[in-house]
Amino acid sequence: MRRYVTNPMIIKELRQRLRERRSWLLPTLYLIVLSGIVVCVYYFSTDTGRRLRGAEVQGADIGQAIFLAVVFTQIIVLLLMGPVFSSGAITIEREQRTLAGLLTSLLTAPQIWWGKFVAALLYLLLLLASAIPLLALPFAFGGVEPLDLVKALGSTILTLASICTIGLWCSATFRRSVHATASCYAIVLVLTIVTAIAFGMIYAHWQQSHPGASGPPAHIQAPLFLNPLYPLLTLIDDGDFRFFVYPVSSWLMFAGVGCLAAALAMRRLQRSGEQL
Amino acid sequence: MIEIDALRKSYRKSRGLDGFSLHLESNELVGLVGPNGAGKTTLIKTLATLLPADSGSVRVSGHDVSVDPTAVRASLGYLPDVAGIYQDMRIGEFLEFFADAFRLKEPQRTAAIERALERAGLADRRNDFVEHLSLGWKQRLLLSKILLHEPKLLLLDEPATGLDPLARIQLREQLKRLHAEGVAILISSHILSDLEDICTRIIFIAEGKNVQEAQTAAFAAGVRASAVRCELEFEGPKDAVDGAIAGFAGAHILERKEGFLLIELTGSSQDASAFLRTLLAAGITILHFDARGPGLEERYRRAFGEHIR
Repeated sequence: MRRYVTNPMIIKELRQRLRERRSWLLPTLYLIVLSGIVVCVYYFSTDTGRRLRGAEVQGADIGQAIFLAVVFTQIIVLLLMGPVFSSGAITIEREQRTLAGLLTSLLTAPQIWWGKFVAALLYLLLLLASAIPLLALPFAFGGVEPLDLVKALGSTILTLASICTIGLWCSATFRRSVHATASCYAIVLVLTIVTAIAFGMIYAHWQQSHPGASGPPAHIQAPLFLNPLYPLLTLIDDGDFRFFVYPVSSWLMFAGVGCLAAALAMRRLQRSGEQL
Repeated sequence: MIEIDALRKSYRKSRGLDGFSLHLESNELVGLVGPNGAGKTTLIKTLATLLPADSGSVRVSGHDVSVDPTAVRASLGYLPDVAGIYQDMRIGEFLEFFADAFRLKEPQRTAAIERALERAGLADRRNDFVEHLSLGWKQRLLLSKILLHEPKLLLLDEPATGLDPLARIQLREQLKRLHAEGVAILISSHILSDLEDICTRIIFIAEGKNVQEAQTAAFAAGVRASAVRCELEFEGPKDAVDGAIAGFAGAHILERKEGFLLIELTGSSQDASAFLRTLLAAGITILHFDARGPGLEERYRRAFGEHIR
């Protein structure tokens, strides 16, 4: 176990990543985008609320709006960044002809994988951590519980970890970074869009046969369990979203997908000598 | 150090190795020579645990490559034909990473890194980025990197590719030094003059087969100190030549073609002169007699002439 904690791959990967220009450029852009969202949501909430109701807007409403906007913007931006950091991790070693050096050292395939995984995830966690002050801002307005913040962060971390394992599997499978990254984006797109469409179709069909039902049961929501946004939708206790109450099922699905992708990636990495 | 018996390895559309066998002792520096696609890289990759064999047995330092790859990796250093290097790391960091990758513990770790820096001649440049090194220096750094854990065997696949003449000379000297220090080396190269200079033995490989075994010792370049090789072109009855050779103690035929013989004589150049006199006395017309024997390039041409064409 100690070998995985003091894994030289992690140090190497972090060292290399933090030397890149994007290591400071991305967090800067990321925070600018999130701050912009917060400002927009604040003005939209107060201005629109005033116009619609002709009264003062409740602080809790502003807090909830900002919180959900930041949480959803964050996951969407990080879903776009996850494949960039993970799906090129092994292919770059192949393209730079450095993979043979790793495979003929005493590093095992799981150690190489773990180093790549931790480095990719840590960078995304750095972005996530940098936005915590923005996520904590709604506490000043009210309407958001600390538990909501923990659930949102936990769900986002788990989803990103799964996306990173999928990215690493693509990276171990394909020879070139461009193919691995495109494949990983395709998978993210399937998980995000196709599951939503599948749910929409199944739900519409189900509603026809259950006209008086209040909301979709778990098995109808099942396609959404693999949607990276679903665990965050369970945070919304409003309108049709109140029926989305199975975050644990979604977490388990993402954990399962992550474990499967990790196992396949390590197996692939062990056999990647043939691709060199 | 290396024991390979009847090794076979096939790819989807081609055969990499077809029953190749090799035994390499711990005090040898062996060159691997053959045309492109002969199976040299496949052989070295199999030894380096990167490729699984289809059949046959491969043992390195007493460990079966397929059963105990970790022990094999711990005992060898492998330099691929196009070895990559982390350009965005400092030289010291690069060596530290691989020292950790080979699980070196302090104080051996620091000592190994210092030794590698000295060996590469980069002790005063440890904080420079690797990308600022020339190709020759990078190759020296890579060679030092694979020596960090003090392996007893080096597998070098085309290590001189792309190097300028001076860097090649330095590489040759370094390999000679390592061989003198007791490191066994298997080196694949197309630069025959380099191999001729440093190797104790040359193995010819073609179409995944060990040509040396397939065609007796005619292609072996190893020259015993007490033996002389003679090229002989002649005219006249073959029986008379055979009779003269049979009558000369210590002479035996390595290679035979129409009007040509490659003969190995036990003894020195004086014995070669005596042998020539014996042939003349037997009434054989000598067209060409060279007691130095063919160089490696000539032997390569003869061995792989059909591949070259």
